[in-house]
Amino acid sequence: MEKVLILGGGGGGAILANLLPKEEFDVTVVDRDEYHIFQPGNLFIAFYGDSIEKYRRPIRTLLKPHVKLVKDEVTGVDLNERRVELGSGESLEYDYIIIATGANLDYDAIEGNRELLESYGDFYSTLENAEKLYKTLREMREGRFVIAIADPIYKCPPGPHKGAFLSSTLFERMGVDVDVVLALPFPHAYPSKTISDIIEPELEKRNIEVHTFFTVDSIDVEKKRIYSLEGEELEYTVATVIPPHEGPRYKIEPSEVKDDSNYLKIDKYTCLIEGFDDAYSIGDCTNAPTSKSGVTAHLQAEVVAERLQGFDARYSGRTNCPLITDGMGLFIISDYDHPPIPVKLSRFKRLLEDLFVATYWDAIRYPELWQPIFHAYFDATSPAKLGERGW
Amino acid sequence: MPELIKVDARGMACPGPISALTRAYRKAKNGDTIEVLATDPGFKPDVQAWVKRTNNELIELTEEGGVIKAVIKVTGKRG
Repeated sequence: MEKVLILGGGGGGAILANLLPKEEFDVTVVDRDEYHIFQPGNLFIAFYGDSIEKYRRPIRTLLKPHVKLVKDEVTGVDLNERRVELGSGESLEYDYIIIATGANLDYDAIEGNRELLESYGDFYSTLENAEKLYKTLREMREGRFVIAIADPIYKCPPGPHKGAFLSSTLFERMGVDVDVVLALPFPHAYPSKTISDIIEPELEKRNIEVHTFFTVDSIDVEKKRIYSLEGEELEYTVATVIPPHEGPRYKIEPSEVKDDSNYLKIDKYTCLIEGFDDAYSIGDCTNAPTSKSGVTAHLQAEVVAERLQGFDARYSGRTNCPLITDGMGLFIISDYDHPPIPVKLSRFKRLLEDLFVATYWDAIRYPELWQPIFHAYFDATSPAKLGERGW
Repeated sequence: MPELIKVDARGMACPGPISALTRAYRKAKNGDTIEVLATDPGFKPDVQAWVKRTNNELIELTEEGGVIKAVIKVTGKRG
């Protein structure tokens, strides 16, 4: 039996652990938290007032019984020695390792960002902070709610846009006159012009103020102003700034496997860590040139599961990021060979998103049962098939 | 010392090359050169709009064999 060590019990780690046949692999998952968080839940908590309980489950309940779970912090990884050091002092050895510990959000990189988070909450860090943001927004009667971004590579690229749409609906339901402002580092509303052209009219329809070429440089919490690298400033009543992201901070030997943002350098197709044939990395902690999202982690987990069983599976770079407004939705579909295809907002796609949310826990626990459905979906909606026709 | 920053955004899925460029730009200083390679056709108009708006100089913009190459001289940084 091969010893497989998976660091991180999130979307990537849990699915991978559950896909590996127990007859061939002795699987251990390490996570510092008790809970697996359904991160898109942050949106539903922050803008619909949903309960935290809906969006977290103990990791133990999501893993098949034969998968070992170690609740501990990773303090060091040595890929040459094939050993991982844990906070408790214990160390674990492996035949194969998969690093899936996600992205770190650095709230101390931008001056004022930590204070902003502590004052208002946000919809990127924790479920509790999302709850805090909901409370903050519910108390607004007028003024400006600003959503801004500090660095163009962050998880869930449509996240800020969803925040703008859903908060706009929330203020409408509350009957208050609060302006929603969306400040983005891109030349247009969405990094892809194709998607931008579709959502810009929707943003305009809801009077959401959009500022392009705006990359947050600093925040003055006394003056309630956000300053950009490009030399502009925005006033706010309540604000949230999506912080710079980075990969794992724990020590990894050899240090060359991390790039200058601490992301693991992987082969974008095989997910192997550069220079190794027994070490993989998946999910938000890698430098894969695609969206940081659950879909990526899921598809990469499948690729690694196949590869560990001797198949030459490759990740296509496929994205399927949901962008939702209150009643409508679309998916941003691209891969390494195709930029985003034209897509339209529709109620049906919003329903598909709701369906996905409803089945999430089951899909993590029983990925092998859901695989045919996901495969059929990804196949039917591949950018190569939908091409210029779009969806 | 002026640096040459290379950004290889070929075969990049969404969010795409413009995000990779903005990211590299954050760490750049006036006098540096940023060279971006991209395969996303949307990058060509995007990079032109970007240099205009950020007051940087587009020294070269070529396309060969499906690869767009943009060479940018960083001149627009404040401070």
